[in-house]
Amino acid sequence: MRLLYLLREAMTNLHANRGNVMIGIVTTAFTLVCFGVFLLLYLNIKNLTGTLQGDIEVIVYLDPEASEQVVSLVQKRLRTEPAAVALTFVSKEQALREFSEQFPEESLLLEGMEGNPLPASLVVNLSPRFLDTESLGAFAERVKQLPGVTHVAYSQDWVDTLALVVSYFELGAVVIGTILAVATVTIIANTIRLSLHTRKEEIEILRLIGATGAFIAIPYVIEGMILGAVGGGLSLALLKGVFEFFRLELNASGWFVGMEHILPVFPREVSFLLVMTGLLLGCGSSVLSVFGLMKVRN
Amino acid sequence: MIQLFHVSKFYDRCTALDDISFRIDKGECVILTGPSGAGKTTLLKMVFGAELPDAGQILVQNRNIARLRGGAIPYLRRTMGIVLQNFQLLPKKTVYENVVLPLIIQGVKRREARKRVMDVLKAVSMDHKRTIRTGVLSAGEQQRICIARAIVNSPILLLADEPTGNLDAELAVEIVELFKRIYAQGTTILLATHNQRVVEQMNGRVVHLQAGQVVSDEGATS
Repeated sequence: MRLLYLLREAMTNLHANRGNVMIGIVTTAFTLVCFGVFLLLYLNIKNLTGTLQGDIEVIVYLDPEASEQVVSLVQKRLRTEPAAVALTFVSKEQALREFSEQFPEESLLLEGMEGNPLPASLVVNLSPRFLDTESLGAFAERVKQLPGVTHVAYSQDWVDTLALVVSYFELGAVVIGTILAVATVTIIANTIRLSLHTRKEEIEILRLIGATGAFIAIPYVIEGMILGAVGGGLSLALLKGVFEFFRLELNASGWFVGMEHILPVFPREVSFLLVMTGLLLGCGSSVLSVFGLMKVRN
Repeated sequence: MIQLFHVSKFYDRCTALDDISFRIDKGECVILTGPSGAGKTTLLKMVFGAELPDAGQILVQNRNIARLRGGAIPYLRRTMGIVLQNFQLLPKKTVYENVVLPLIIQGVKRREARKRVMDVLKAVSMDHKRTIRTGVLSAGEQQRICIARAIVNSPILLLADEPTGNLDAELAVEIVELFKRIYAQGTTILLATHNQRVVEQMNGRVVHLQAGQVVSDEGATS
């Protein structure tokens, strides 16, 4: 009977203060949307960085004058490198074909030239253990010294920049997350305090007839939890809606054909996290508001 | 049941109670009387733990109020019924919902609670109005509901502060009769009033307070 009473009281509180509760829900949703946008950006950039790091290749361009024997020696030498996990030979003809496929408009430029200007190359896939700037640099330096090698190219720099951005995002997530959490707690706590204030007389009566601080406080804590969870749910709906719209637009643009794996993701954990964050923030703020009820003697 | 030893209380250097000592035994009916400001309400508040003495000791059911932790106060109050002049009812809740509240707080089972509420509502002749919100009831009816709520958990001590203060003479007689019936069932009563007719009608031990001091104690058993 007690549990039923406490739940009913929480619902009555929510109904009686519906104006303030709505403001509380909307502001909670808004702050959680900001937090969610940030979280999604962070997760997507991190995801993209991981994907790109896995794709890092070192391209070893070969001298067009190099004999087959020299090319074979380079291949042999590369296979002995502990960093290299895969090696692919790309002939001059294959390079031209790939260029024409990837850049059909620019391939016209090559038509006016005599012969095939693109060099043959060896594409080396590296073990993830050797993907840091230092190892990659040392590897490239060693390969450059080999006879028949004209140039070594790899795209580590901008991946490193992305990794740096991720680390900034991590720092930002802590700072912004803390600010937004404090804002949400303040908003919900004020809503609960207002609710407490309007029911001051009722609380006095409950005290008079032997209600403990916890008995009086529980409906307000439930109220805060519902408010926070609904705010979290609303923010989830808003984020998901905007996200899906954005994703559809990107798909429709056709820019990512064949590269769908780098399209933005909305992990299921984010949905859970948003609602749970709302619920926990609501719970925390109401506990903060009703804490006084536990110790006042009157 | 209640023992006061040299109890004093001050509010901003004004003396509310001045070196009061007396005891109330189990099953006694004590009428605390005196003019407004004599210290009746302060004394009652101390008995139910809403105020602490600045000097002296108060024992209620062998528990020292001054040493009782805040968390123990609700449990002390569950052993007593409290009736105040301004009714202290929840106006948006029905008669039944108001009276059942102490039983919900104590975790009494629904069926048992229902039976006990109906019994006390019959005792105060308000069972026919159990579904009505207390906010629309007359003053006399509200006070009867307040008494029903105070006795629904069968307290061993009933405290009442000016229970007829907001009622006309005829209704006051009715309420006093209710208190007499509760007393007859063995409940200890401590009732504060400045109404001489109530004092006469209750016919109990009369402790007269004036300026925070006991000036007379008529009918004391010890």
